[in-house]
Amino acid sequence: MNDINILGIETSCDETAAAIVKNGQEILSNIVQSQISLHQKFGGVVPEVASRKHIETITAVTQEAFARAALTYQDIDAVAVTHRPGLIGALLVGLSFAKSLAYALGKPIIAVNHLHGHIYANFLENPGIAFPCVCLVVSGGHTSLLYMPSHHEYHLIGETRDDAAGEAFDKVARFLGLAYPGGPSVEKAALQGQPGLYKLPRIFLDRDDFEFSFSGLKTAVMNLWRKLEKSGEADVNNMAAEFQAALVEVLAEKTLHAAKKFQVKTVLLAGGVAANSLLRSTIAEKAQVQGMQVFYPSLSLCTDNAAMIAGRAYVQYMRRDFAGLDLNAYPGLLSL
Amino acid sequence: MLILAVDSATQVAGVALAGRDRVVCEEFVNFKRNHSEILLPKIDRVMKDSQCDWSQIAALAVTTGPGSFTGLRIGMATVKGLSLATGLPIAAISTLDVLAHNVVRSPALVAAMLDARREEVYFSCYDVQDRFPRMLLPMKACPPQQAGREILDLIGATGREQVILLGDGATSYHDYFTDILGQYLIPVSPHVMLPRAAALASLAWEALDKGQLDNSLTVKPIYLRLSEAEYRLQKGVS
Ligand SMILES: [Zn+2]
Repeated sequence: MNDINILGIETSCDETAAAIVKNGQEILSNIVQSQISLHQKFGGVVPEVASRKHIETITAVTQEAFARAALTYQDIDAVAVTHRPGLIGALLVGLSFAKSLAYALGKPIIAVNHLHGHIYANFLENPGIAFPCVCLVVSGGHTSLLYMPSHHEYHLIGETRDDAAGEAFDKVARFLGLAYPGGPSVEKAALQGQPGLYKLPRIFLDRDDFEFSFSGLKTAVMNLWRKLEKSGEADVNNMAAEFQAALVEVLAEKTLHAAKKFQVKTVLLAGGVAANSLLRSTIAEKAQVQGMQVFYPSLSLCTDNAAMIAGRAYVQYMRRDFAGLDLNAYPGLLSL
Repeated sequence: MLILAVDSATQVAGVALAGRDRVVCEEFVNFKRNHSEILLPKIDRVMKDSQCDWSQIAALAVTTGPGSFTGLRIGMATVKGLSLATGLPIAAISTLDVLAHNVVRSPALVAAMLDARREEVYFSCYDVQDRFPRMLLPMKACPPQQAGREILDLIGATGREQVILLGDGATSYHDYFTDILGQYLIPVSPHVMLPRAAALASLAWEALDKGQLDNSLTVKPIYLRLSEAEYRLQKGVS
């Protein structure tokens, strides 16, 4: 059979990304134009600012993806695009662009769920992953646990009731005066500090379900910090360490609990927060004890990128799961 | 040769295929703003109904705004994608120019106005005595009261006796403009009140003749307004 080259386009949040992936496996190019510096002064992603940047850079990023892959436009077999979930205005830039590009090239359009893309990042690097799996998708927009019996089935078994884990990192970082984005800056501060010196709650850990809640943890950080400041004992690094430990413990426990309940031998981590090394090592250690295998993407494939979209699209391409010219974008996670 | 014109900058979504002296096909809808669902199917129908293929197209055209931020980006992203795939150049025309082009060779002063929400309009004024509109004021977002004053000033300065208001901004503030412009105001029929892709194509031919063309990399939206967050940051409000 001929090789299948798929162009992926991803604009669901604050990265403008295009990538070409061969046969769902080989990354021929993976271009990510990050907007982080643009949103830094606002302390978080501003949807309208993100959309404006996407429309400015989408062409250059796509051209770069073709140039790096050394392919012409006619060499691709399909155009894949993230159509949900995400910032609606941002999604619509990539969606409109990808659809018309595919249309004018006479190629099929493949609509990819962003979360499926994140999960697929694991398969890009480890094609032999055995099903069924439990997947933890943790990012600035999502904290979801999924049960995945095959490449085509995703069952949402729990998600956050309020803040996403990455959002909690951002908010706490902002409160503690650490840089945006909060994930890397809190992790860095935590390395200098020690968990356990301050005591933060592990919320929902004692409950027998797969829901998460992080807004209470954020409030606990704020309350405790104000007390410590009054008594002159406030240490940013120790607070960062305890916050990270509390958040990771909840994520790890719930994930392992889900893996046991669904009797899987494989656990997948995905999303920007899956770049956190404490989360990786904690889940890996706990899983090993249970005889489970844990996979997580390399750092550059954890955060938003289009290679994961093009990769995931290959599975859909093989089933002829194509979208029409009327494909729309949706902010929500519907139809997992 | 033909120009494929695409407009989704306002509640209107329109696609037209037009030669230099002939409109071949036009689809127009002024209904809900579900542009991302309907725009590309419209393009497909217009191409198919006209038995047109890309080799017959000389250029693409798009409205750059002002208008709804999301709407104009849907149109622009669509045209950027078409341009990248086909290598065709893009004529980028302001939505207000396209509106103004609905009135041709009239001695009346034409004010093009789009409802910008928040008690403002996107606005400019045009001389339309020639075949193509000539802009008399820089485009801006302003309260309708300011637009009204500027129109009256232009009437005073140019001695025009007639004013034609175009666009949904004129509709939204109809009573106000009727009050202040009184005897100068000439009512027009609804089919010229909204941006038309055929008018966009006509202006695009003009741009093509003058060599004023963009491509997928260079074409840029015109917002006339900062995003809310940038505005707040600039004002020092948080
Ligand atoms: Zn993501």
